[in-house]
Amino acid sequence: MKLRLIFCLLILSCTAYAHAGVEGVYGKGITLTETTPVSAIYDAPQDYVGRRVLVEGMIIEVCAARGCWIYLSSDRPFEKIRVKVTDGEIVFPIAAQGHMAKVEGVVQEIRRSKEQVIAWRKHLAEEKGAPFDPATVTGPEVTYRLRGLGAVIE
Amino acid sequence: MNWRHLNRAVHRDLGYLCCGLTLIYVISGVAVNHIDRWNPSYRLTRIESNIGSLKDVPREDLVPEIMLRVGETRQLKNVFSSAPDELTVFAEGNTIVVNLHSGSAVQERYLPRSFLYEVNFLHLNHPKKLWTWFADLYAVGLGLLAISGLFVLQGRQGMKGRGAVLVAAGVSVPLFFLWLYL
Repeated sequence: MKLRLIFCLLILSCTAYAHAGVEGVYGKGITLTETTPVSAIYDAPQDYVGRRVLVEGMIIEVCAARGCWIYLSSDRPFEKIRVKVTDGEIVFPIAAQGHMAKVEGVVQEIRRSKEQVIAWRKHLAEEKGAPFDPATVTGPEVTYRLRGLGAVIE
Repeated sequence: MNWRHLNRAVHRDLGYLCCGLTLIYVISGVAVNHIDRWNPSYRLTRIESNIGSLKDVPREDLVPEIMLRVGETRQLKNVFSSAPDELTVFAEGNTIVVNLHSGSAVQERYLPRSFLYEVNFLHLNHPKKLWTWFADLYAVGLGLLAISGLFVLQGRQGMKGRGAVLVAAGVSVPLFFLWLYL
């Protein structure tokens, strides 16, 4: 009887914790102490591709379907960087939008043909239920992103 | 008490203990399995509208003016400008992207799904900390439940007959799908 009572209390306490907010450690957390400005990555991407970095910014968008990627704001106006995490390993809650975060990961270069860009943007639009016009894609793209390993959301 | 009595008692009590969490994992498991079709934790609503041009509104008044025009009264979390003429306002449960010149506004409202949010929270191990250990303990409990279940019945109803056939059928299902998809 006591065991069952403890079990129920544990479930209830975790349920209450569920409403405590999105702040916390995600994935493997962060191990680096020095922050790399996102603008520095974009200014000299080849210096950072393959390197493990810690970036800081505001979470401005979260994958609506799986929570498997976020966009983090840069230190430079109008700039952002995408952070992709392994599905299920880290799940960013959609309510994390607007929160500040530190994210640790490896910088990756992504090259996409025009057809791949169209398919990719179509997929993103479908996830959000937003319209997409393939004519907005003009050619192949090279983008840089972080393969996210851990994060701390404040 | 012989070992069969003990086994039966373990199987019975583990069944009672694991019942609640098993149901939580069942519900969340089905919900998360279909993540391609829906967000199992949040109810999302996208609202497109035009709230009128904001180009003449002073910069410091923009955010309260946008919230007023879309009727958003919940707490402001943050603001981001993704382009010179675009502002994203983050309120609790709502993200509002506004083009300041045209006045076009896209609201993405999200509301935690009652019950499903909580069960997914546990199933996907968002709490971490103590819950991780408890979930491990539960997994061990399920393993013991399965193993003790094999020996509840004896003879032809048990592992010398019907039980063995059903166990073999149960094991063959994941093996078949591994053969099919791996």
